[in-house]
Amino acid sequence: MFFLALRQLLSKKQQTLLTLLGIVLGTTAYVAISGMMLGFQVFIIDQLVNNDAHIRINAREEIVSADTFKDVFFKNDVFVNWVKPPSGRKDNAYILSPQSWLDRLESDPQVIAASPQFVSQAIVNVGNISTGVRLIGSIPEKQIKVSNIQKYMLKGKFTDIGTSGNRLVAGEDLLTKLGATLNETILLTVGKGVPQPFKIVGVFKLGVRSIDESTLFASLTDVQNLNETPSRVSDIAIRLFDVNLAKDLSLTWNLLGQEKVQSWDQANEGIMSVFVTQDIVRNSMTISILIVAGFGIYNILSLAVSHRRREIAILRSIGFEPSDIVKLFFTQGFILGLIGGIVGILLGLLTCYYISTIEISGNRGLGSNRMIVSYDWMIFVKAFFLALLSSSLAGFLPSRAAGKMEPIDIIRSEDS
Amino acid sequence: MGIKMVNLRKSFGRIQTEVLRGINEEIKSGEMVSITGRSGSGKSTLLYIISTLDKPSSGEVIIDGENVSSLDSVRLHQFRNQNMGFVFQFHHLLPELTALENILMPALKINKNKAFESRARDLMLEFDLKDKFDHYPSELSGGEQQRVAVARALIMSPKYIFADEPTGNLDSINGLAVMKFLQKINIELKTTVIFVTHDREFSKMGHRQITLVDGLVETAESIKLEKN
Repeated sequence: MFFLALRQLLSKKQQTLLTLLGIVLGTTAYVAISGMMLGFQVFIIDQLVNNDAHIRINAREEIVSADTFKDVFFKNDVFVNWVKPPSGRKDNAYILSPQSWLDRLESDPQVIAASPQFVSQAIVNVGNISTGVRLIGSIPEKQIKVSNIQKYMLKGKFTDIGTSGNRLVAGEDLLTKLGATLNETILLTVGKGVPQPFKIVGVFKLGVRSIDESTLFASLTDVQNLNETPSRVSDIAIRLFDVNLAKDLSLTWNLLGQEKVQSWDQANEGIMSVFVTQDIVRNSMTISILIVAGFGIYNILSLAVSHRRREIAILRSIGFEPSDIVKLFFTQGFILGLIGGIVGILLGLLTCYYISTIEISGNRGLGSNRMIVSYDWMIFVKAFFLALLSSSLAGFLPSRAAGKMEPIDIIRSEDS
Repeated sequence: MGIKMVNLRKSFGRIQTEVLRGINEEIKSGEMVSITGRSGSGKSTLLYIISTLDKPSSGEVIIDGENVSSLDSVRLHQFRNQNMGFVFQFHHLLPELTALENILMPALKINKNKAFESRARDLMLEFDLKDKFDHYPSELSGGEQQRVAVARALIMSPKYIFADEPTGNLDSINGLAVMKFLQKINIELKTTVIFVTHDREFSKMGHRQITLVDGLVETAESIKLEKN
């Protein structure tokens, strides 16, 4: 039947080409749009996953209230009339026993590395310019194992921070804002104690503006000293062998202590939900295109069935069964889907390649300032099967109608 | 062996109009029989019923001892493919296939088109179509198209050929040529040929005629009644 189906399609070249065009455009659109959107998602996820941590353990912030002190200073049956009830955050948040966490994590086979951190807000002063920054204190050797920060260093090495000595690594945008350069010394303060000088020993650029213009990395000890909180740890950043286990492990670890354990995707739920929306938009748009193409196929095959009534009657009279007739027309839809899918994928690939050469403003880290396009093989598999499925479904109804035609009814209506 | 019609009746329409009103007839294997009658006498209906393309409202068609209405769809189509050849008034060729491919269609059904190709070519030579192997139906004359249709009906060497007004759409020369081919097949291959025709001359080319009058077979008695 394949032979005859192909001949029938070729006999109506113009119709066939137009229908094919619909499927090709649908498939191309799917590949190109998916490539762009997934490229963007992969870039963002890479930033989220690899530049911070797969899982982060932080001290849970505790907000105090009048109830917090019940049965602490006074017995429960004593009525306390507060002049100003206690409120606000309870001191600086820190992990109560970081060492026990670190011991546990180091022995966990799923964990590549765990980096203790002390994260605080600080103010940086350079000449007359001062700005608020996020100061992350870490052990450099451990930090480079949990994140890709080393990959994004423009100047110096991340490990130049050392374990003490007031050295820091800063985001490029922050230095531009401050007018500071490598090897310069800047003043840092956390609002208590005297400002301390720190030497800039490295510059990084992740390509995420919010981080590049407001983040400083220094050694854990130096940041602890600056905050006058020696040996305190506010966060533990963890890298896993399998990032997909992050959510499950974080849920399990949450039960182990009073700290808050969050996987990278939980921490960035807002961004992840944008991705979900993007996926819905992408899929529904492509499905709409393919539905339109599907209607094209439905039309062309319905017309073919009504134009080929005589031929159906001949085929049936020479021994072709109803199922053969169904196959004949179904195969035509299938062939259109098959060719449309393949051509659409090839065109989609070309489109993706072209898109990836388009320059966009802003440096995205690693020196790339072009559109990032994903060539994930699943995009092509999905595109191909969507094309095939829509055309097969569209071909099914006319084919079934053709299969139900009785030769004698056709002959009678032709003769009359 | 042959085709036996037992009390065949056929009605059409919401207000049932009986087109065949009880046909009892037998066509022996190797016979060439014409079915004649006026328009509306039921001759085409009878042909389609005995060729299994249509079903009777009641009665039985027994071909080679087998009641064809008891065959399931697969066996029925197999039976048509192996034992029956059809020739229609309007040639009914597949327009996107060449003459040779059209003739090979019944063989394609059983995936034996390669094996039957030389026979198809022989048939074309025999039917004076030697230069037309790769011609499409639109490139053939009406007579040539009908000869291709007859060749297609013969490709599987069927026991039965059913032809519905095979000359109806042809001029007298081409019509006669087609009828002579059918006669030749009947004589040389012993193929049973049953054909419907309006033409008195052509109807006499068979061994005998079945004449239908108002859905019944005309008998000597009925002719006498009609004359009175």
